[in-house]
Amino acid sequence: MTSRFRKFLGDSALSFPTWAYMLFFFALPVALVMWYSFGFKPDQFTTHSMEQLSLGRYREVVSPTFLSVFTATLRISIVGTLACLVIAVPFAYWLAVKVPPGRRGLLLALVLVPFWTNFLVRTLGWQIILSPDGFVSEALQGIGLLGSPLDILYSRAAVQIGVIYNYLPLMILPLFVAMDSAGVQLREASADLGAGKWRTFFQVTLPLATPGVISGCLLVFIPLTGDYITASVLGGANGTMIGQLVANQFQNAQNWALGSAMAVVLMLFTLAVVVITALLALVVKAVIKYVGRVELPTGQHAGPDAGTAADLPEGSGVRQAEPAVSGTTTGGPHA
Amino acid sequence: MPERIRRRSLTDTALWVWGAVVFVFLFLPIAVIVLYSFNNGRLLASFDELGVQAYVSGLQNDVIIASVMTSLKAATGTALLATVLGTFGGIALARATKGAKWPVLLTALLALTLVTPEVVDGIAMLPWFVTLGVDAGLTPFNNGLFRLVIAHTAFSTAIVTFIIRARMAGIDSSLEEAAEDLGATKWRSFRDVTLPLAGPGIFAGALMAFTLSLDNTILSSFVQQPGYTPWPVYIFSAVRVALRPEVAAISTAMLVLTLLALALVGLVLKRSGNSSSQIVKTMAGS
Repeated sequence: MTSRFRKFLGDSALSFPTWAYMLFFFALPVALVMWYSFGFKPDQFTTHSMEQLSLGRYREVVSPTFLSVFTATLRISIVGTLACLVIAVPFAYWLAVKVPPGRRGLLLALVLVPFWTNFLVRTLGWQIILSPDGFVSEALQGIGLLGSPLDILYSRAAVQIGVIYNYLPLMILPLFVAMDSAGVQLREASADLGAGKWRTFFQVTLPLATPGVISGCLLVFIPLTGDYITASVLGGANGTMIGQLVANQFQNAQNWALGSAMAVVLMLFTLAVVVITALLALVVKAVIKYVGRVELPTGQHAGPDAGTAADLPEGSGVRQAEPAVSGTTTGGPHA
Repeated sequence: MPERIRRRSLTDTALWVWGAVVFVFLFLPIAVIVLYSFNNGRLLASFDELGVQAYVSGLQNDVIIASVMTSLKAATGTALLATVLGTFGGIALARATKGAKWPVLLTALLALTLVTPEVVDGIAMLPWFVTLGVDAGLTPFNNGLFRLVIAHTAFSTAIVTFIIRARMAGIDSSLEEAAEDLGATKWRSFRDVTLPLAGPGIFAGALMAFTLSLDNTILSSFVQQPGYTPWPVYIFSAVRVALRPEVAAISTAMLVLTLLALALVGLVLKRSGNSSSQIVKTMAGS
């Protein structure tokens, strides 16, 4: 009976519509773009021609303008991702650990309100806040902090603020989920075994949240690199990002060949970042596993029962005392 | 609970302050938009006088209403289509025989759609729709609404599939086997056991697909057709010309409606006995 059941649901047959759709409306069109990238723009009125295949468009892509926009975009993405991480780690920790469980749901829902507000509308909010004749600018001048109107809108700094804001919820959410599922029990066990708060955070909570950190970083970095909405609303002519260059080739310059080549470069770059991150994650995981290893007597489960482990004499419950979560740490806050 | 007894330490205080600061940051631009929606002036950014003029003229503006309707229709279509595709894909992936090759390939294909920058999707879709609609004569591909649904579904399906796979992975397949043992047909066991079990995942996936479609600007701006401009694309083109308070007014109205709908959904989930954190996590798709 199991095999009969598997034949129906475990079979790939059920996934056929998904397959077909993704191949037809994702893989094929993207393959078409890759094909266009080897073409050229023959005249003013034609978007592309495939009569002569060459790598010429890729040579055009590697131009100083493109490269400078590319590095600027990269800087904005990296700084943005790191800033989101730095803002979100204490915040998610606070939400998952410090906030009483009864109120957690409501606060988490509040975090999601920006997520459910239109992306563009939120960005417009920042345009008003940062504008030179806006209320922030006037207030800052009023109290004498600024001598002249606020000069930040339509600059890279404004784009930076905008992207950090726009992608922050995407970092908070996976971090919260990871820290929440790390569980009260493990943190209490760590405290019972004498680890300080910081030590528990860095050796229990954070390592267990690594998958959340990684998925959060990717969730922020990938859309951020391709984003150009934030840049066009807040950056003006000074804050151009790579997405705008690609879109321009299709919407204004009508040069599909060059636009395709840029898109392929952008796509390969994002893919490379994901692959490198995945490899890095494996390394980090292995390091954490090695550094934080706890050797238990055989036959006993990992994750020692907090009460008994603390009551037993040192070394019997947790054999390897250093550098794991252990009973040797002095000065736990847990009086 | 030892935490309760202990007095709040310096780091704890700092964490609470940080939490408050981040919330202020998260709500600042939204509060500004809501506030400026009550601007009676001609331009959004320069506050003139308090009033509801923007709401009145926004609701009477046919172009604005049409674009909001286009967005809602596209989002509904996307939610339906992406949920069907994602449910099939997700269940198939979760129940795949170990060691089979296709689940790896399908996961890779779906993951690839997630890591592809949206602008690449956009420029890929546009020539493809032209090829299908004009060159191949498949007229539906010239319809603006159809294009939006197809394009939005392409990037929502992966997320819905992963949500449902995660949901089904946590459920033992022995329940379905039991139904079969008790004489249910394959279809019956799928309909009466598997689908209800996947329920919360399907629901979360549909909600996610709806939100993603409603919010989408980049892809939409590539594939849109005259007469079917979705709301975000309307705003984006207004940014380049001049932003009027109507944009803020209609956005505020939409936000209020979204939050009411979500609160209703949360209430229904709570009735069925979920904890509040669980509800939010379900709705956020994780």
